[in-house]
Amino acid sequence: MTSIPRSVSALRLPPVLAGYLTALSRGLLALLLPLGLLLLWQLIAEQQWISPQLLPPPTQVLDSLLELYSSGELASNLGISLARVLWGFAAGSAAGLLLGVAMGLSPRVEAYLLPTFKAISLVPVIGWVPLFILFVGIEESLKVLVIAKAVMVPVAINAMKGIRNVPVGFFEVARLYRFSLWRTVRKVVLPAALPSLANGLRLGLSNAWMALVAVELLASSEGIGYLMVYGRQLFQLDLVMATMVVIGVVGLVLDQGLQLLERHLLTWRNSAY
Amino acid sequence: MSQNISKFDPRGLVVPLLLIALWWASAHWGWADTRLVVPPLDVVAYAREQFVSGELALGLVASLARDLAGFAIGAGAGLVIGALLALSPLTDRLAGPSLHAVKQVALFAWIPLISVWFGQGEPAKLVFIALATFYPVLFNTYEGIKSVRRELAEVTRVFGFGRRQTLLRLVLPAASPQIFAGLHLGLIYSWLGTIGAEYYLKVAPGVSTPLIDGREHFEMARVLYGMVLIGLVGALLNAVATRLEQRTLRWRPR
Amino acid sequence: MSAIGTLSLKHLNKSYPVKGQPLSVLEDISLDIQPGEFISIVGSSGCGKSTLLRLLIGLEDQFDGEILLDGQPVKGPSLERGIVFQDHRLFPWLTVEQNVALALENSPLSEADKRDTIAQHIELVSLTGFEKAYPHQLSGGMSQRVAIARGLVNRPRILLLDEPFGALDALTRAHLQVELQRIWQAEGITTVLVTHDVDEAVFLGDRVVVMQPRPGRIKRIVPVPLPHPRVRGDVRLAALRDDILADFSDAPRETLIEQPAPLPQRFEDFVLAW
Ligand SMILES: Nc1ncnc2c1ncn2[C@@H]1O[C@H](COP(=O)(O)OP(=O)(O)O)[C@@H](O)[C@H]1O
Ligand SMILES: [Mg+2]
Repeated sequence: MTSIPRSVSALRLPPVLAGYLTALSRGLLALLLPLGLLLLWQLIAEQQWISPQLLPPPTQVLDSLLELYSSGELASNLGISLARVLWGFAAGSAAGLLLGVAMGLSPRVEAYLLPTFKAISLVPVIGWVPLFILFVGIEESLKVLVIAKAVMVPVAINAMKGIRNVPVGFFEVARLYRFSLWRTVRKVVLPAALPSLANGLRLGLSNAWMALVAVELLASSEGIGYLMVYGRQLFQLDLVMATMVVIGVVGLVLDQGLQLLERHLLTWRNSAY
Repeated sequence: MSQNISKFDPRGLVVPLLLIALWWASAHWGWADTRLVVPPLDVVAYAREQFVSGELALGLVASLARDLAGFAIGAGAGLVIGALLALSPLTDRLAGPSLHAVKQVALFAWIPLISVWFGQGEPAKLVFIALATFYPVLFNTYEGIKSVRRELAEVTRVFGFGRRQTLLRLVLPAASPQIFAGLHLGLIYSWLGTIGAEYYLKVAPGVSTPLIDGREHFEMARVLYGMVLIGLVGALLNAVATRLEQRTLRWRPR
Repeated sequence: MSAIGTLSLKHLNKSYPVKGQPLSVLEDISLDIQPGEFISIVGSSGCGKSTLLRLLIGLEDQFDGEILLDGQPVKGPSLERGIVFQDHRLFPWLTVEQNVALALENSPLSEADKRDTIAQHIELVSLTGFEKAYPHQLSGGMSQRVAIARGLVNRPRILLLDEPFGALDALTRAHLQVELQRIWQAEGITTVLVTHDVDEAVFLGDRVVVMQPRPGRIKRIVPVPLPHPRVRGDVRLAALRDDILADFSDAPRETLIEQPAPLPQRFEDFVLAW
């Protein structure tokens, strides 16, 4: 688009090849900074300008990542974490959808529930943790509860917004043809509100992952967050960093996965959006 | 949102009142573990005690100062870097992907590293709050500037604007709604970051103290008081941000 | 040097790259416009009218042929040429007054003179009293008039108007056409009006340039030898209109809307390439 592709196109290559070259040059440019930083980091660590306790060399981080993987620790802890996310997400999105759809469809339900819902959402997840701990202890139910709360809020808000923003004209068309409530919901409300619903679910999933990490750091004896606490306690920063990498990658995969699904399901939408 | 706040609908009180009644009844008749279900008035009494003793003010001031300092650092960095990335394609190519990659790491996963690098004290807390604020501000600034309409940019070309003029007359005003939205979001995140910092790093005076102590000593009244406090401050920050936004962006159609 | 406001286009050719291939949008456009003349350009949508104006104003610099203003080649935008875009393009964060003032940012006038000329031009488009209003408070017709004031405030030698009344209701449009005729007569500016409304073209133009699409070409140029101000409903205008409309007698070709390729957001386009 800018200087690079322009110079590439000046070579008058076939478009496909030029496209590859552009992508390649852009990729190289994007790698420049991280590679540079990585080299600098390796240098600093090797020269021991900063104590390896504070800054283990990247190679060591990679080693502990590989070891986590080969020992099976990564798989088992990640499995546990993902299961928690799954349960929390399922519970939270079910509650959020129910709440959001009900509030979106009925002004009366909204009048009764929205203020309470707002009050609940205003206290961030971390603020709820002590209360949940007092009620359910620090076992699995705590994690599911915390994640569910984090998921419920964006899902409900977006469901409500999506339905609220369905043009009134659509409802009038439905009334004109005497659609039943169920039919209206299925044929009018859901399709029109789908982008917003999907958006809420995506936000919810990303919140779920954040909340999982937060709660596992606080109270857990297994799971990806626990690995981190463990590394921190033993002052093994390489382990901590390796876990951060895993957390980042899983976060990305979850987000992209849902985005892909969303795009697949919402192809009818105008591509300009 | 502000419209909803100004228009009071008593139906909204039904659910909270029912909950309180249920709570009160179960405390009164001992339907549930009395340690879990303390009488509602205990919470009020505790709040009053905190207010009178000055603990409330102390914690509030400490947390808000922490929050705003962290917010200022994070938002400042987000604004500058976001604008730089949006305005300079080369910088964007170089640093954009790295920033996106780093963003993927869930916020709280930074806590262990921050605690090693910056300790458990105030600096570490500020770093964490700034980090929480940084990304929402960064992305909204970036998107805001990128979404400046090309048609309007052509108008400035017709009138012979230079870089500086274009930046001041077009780019910044056009991006301001989204920049403000980013700052608003950043403020909300900074509050989450503040509570997180107080909760995960070494205890320091702040609004989270009642939560932490309450849980340790199994005092439900303290925990509930802390939650209400956190919620109220969050609501306050939200309201202030909304008010500022509406003030500054008066030119927008409602 | 020739008289002030002579515009001549010589063998203009313009193409846009579409999917890697050049797509010809304008082909061999030649036209001489006299100072103070009112030229109307009509043509179906997509025949390159807006592109032609973009060339004249200087927003496109990749083209073949020559555009001469008073004998000098046109290079880039300049304050001596004003334009009113198809969409009014007012800055939503500026008031009416400030939007008009935008055009004077780089004018050599003193602050006091600027204030005066802004007030005059707001009066010219009959918007006195609305100086402090924001665009979202204005009707379509009012916005378009602000855009006209903004286009005129620099006292350009040439005024280009791209379907300025296209989105307005018939009554407002008729009213603004009369206004435009009045302003043009008062100021004596060379004016090029692009429109798809043949009535409008005939009513206002000294000559009507009829264009045909794919690629955009001049089909013919119809003189309208009637003095200004003109009266609507003049039979001679009606006859000319029917004559021109006959050029468009083929049913318009139906095509699906093509999603424009997402415009690459480039900051270089803001003339601040760095
Ligand atoms: N930037 C561009 N890139 C590619 N094609 C363009 C571009 N701008 C206009 N076109 C094409 O050029 C043709 C003429 O467009 P335009 O001048 O806007 O027509 P008009 O104003 O007469 O409706 C159209 O087919 C349009 O799709
Ligand atoms: Mg056009």
